[in-house]
Amino acid sequence: MNSVDAVVIGGGVIGCAVAYNLVKAGVSVAIVERDDICAGTSAACDTAIHLQSKNPGIHLQMAQESIKLFPELQKDFDEDIHFKKTGTMIAIQTWEQFEVMRVFAERQRNHGLDVVILDRAAAVERQPMMKGDVVGATYCTADATIHPQFLTKGYFQAAKKYGAKAMLHTKVENIVLKEGHVASVTTNRGNIPCKYVVNACGAYAPCIGKMAGLDIPIAPRRGQIVVTEPMPKFTHTIVNCARYIAAKFRPDLLGTSEADRMGVGLSLTQTERGNLLIGGTREFVGYDTRTTQKALLYILKHATNILPALKDIHIIRTFAGLRPFTPDGLPILGNVPGIEGFVMAAGHEGDGLALSAITGRLIAEIICEKQSAYDFDLTKLSLERYRNIDIKAFEAQYAVCK
Amino acid sequence: MEANTAKFICRCQEITEEEIEKAIQDGATTIKGIKDRTEATMGLCQGRTCRRLIERMLPASGELSRERHSCRPPVRTVKIGDLLKDESSKGEFE
Repeated sequence: MNSVDAVVIGGGVIGCAVAYNLVKAGVSVAIVERDDICAGTSAACDTAIHLQSKNPGIHLQMAQESIKLFPELQKDFDEDIHFKKTGTMIAIQTWEQFEVMRVFAERQRNHGLDVVILDRAAAVERQPMMKGDVVGATYCTADATIHPQFLTKGYFQAAKKYGAKAMLHTKVENIVLKEGHVASVTTNRGNIPCKYVVNACGAYAPCIGKMAGLDIPIAPRRGQIVVTEPMPKFTHTIVNCARYIAAKFRPDLLGTSEADRMGVGLSLTQTERGNLLIGGTREFVGYDTRTTQKALLYILKHATNILPALKDIHIIRTFAGLRPFTPDGLPILGNVPGIEGFVMAAGHEGDGLALSAITGRLIAEIICEKQSAYDFDLTKLSLERYRNIDIKAFEAQYAVCK
Repeated sequence: MEANTAKFICRCQEITEEEIEKAIQDGATTIKGIKDRTEATMGLCQGRTCRRLIERMLPASGELSRERHSCRPPVRTVKIGDLLKDESSKGEFE
């Protein structure tokens, strides 16, 4: 088979974004995907592009830079990616959460994020649907929504337009190394000689890593989401709840009930067609993408506690996707120790859409050995930061590659 | 004025035959591939009508083209308030 400079493995939003950026930078690319574009996580998520959920520091910075790129991408895509600045309100349900969110918002403001804290009266005035069990809410204008599948398709079709070769329904069987360099990728449709391999396989990235002898601490984390009938504009913004963010900084605030253990929290977005996507859960159940009745009831109970008017709306579907979880919540990007030409672009958990644009840019800079236009400390994203992790224990705990 | 001759395959979402053919050209071989590229089957009826029509349009590339459309609960639309009347999750958030 003809050789290429780089083989990008994975046709999700990250793989397609990386392929698009590489081919635009003059690198010849083949996208190899065992199924189809957005066959996994990139079509099993909601539409939110969140800045407000990011910890001030590299995570928030990356999201802030990424969100700036979507209007420009839209100009280059034939596909409408439905990018829209909608803002987010995070419903706060207890005074303990209120205190955590107050401090968190202040830190974010110091990093240039426009976020304020509202008391109950002000929150309900801004969001009349939020009449439930809330003591206040945050409000941030910077957050946005996007069409997950159309964004992925946008990157994919634009990558093809600029000359990327698309190999769908093609399974990677091995990664061939020669003297510590990537030499080729073996697939069920033949061998592709290449200088670089980009592992953009999300929750499945550890399985590709093993082909090159790499241990990658990424685990599948299931998120379940409920879809409603289409309806007129329901809320003015994305609506989330503070449970998850508060729990990150005060784990003691998270209870021990079954719903707590399933990571039930509210994330509500509305598509252009008017369907509400109501999430969600964060569960470690291996690669099981089934939906469960328990999650459905817990999600809806929690959502109606905050937005009681949901009770009169019909649901039409449920779905679940696997978020690629990493121990510190940051993606794994860039070169890896010991193998020249093997590049990681995975582990974004729930931030794949949001960070796709900046991830594509960064990977293209790394492969082209260009001076970065950004000042991110890439060691914080490197696989090497996990060199001391007990990978056997990690893989056993989360049933990785099982 | 030109007559609109577009053939709608997915009536809920108003997706035309032409849009589905374009998705097939882009590499879709399954209902899921069509769905992700066009939003067909994602409407109120969840593909009850158009699924079979689309299946007939898919390229016959063996095992890849069939049986990939997952059906998810609920079987029929149901009001959130009615679902929660069951209250089997009562107490979990108190």
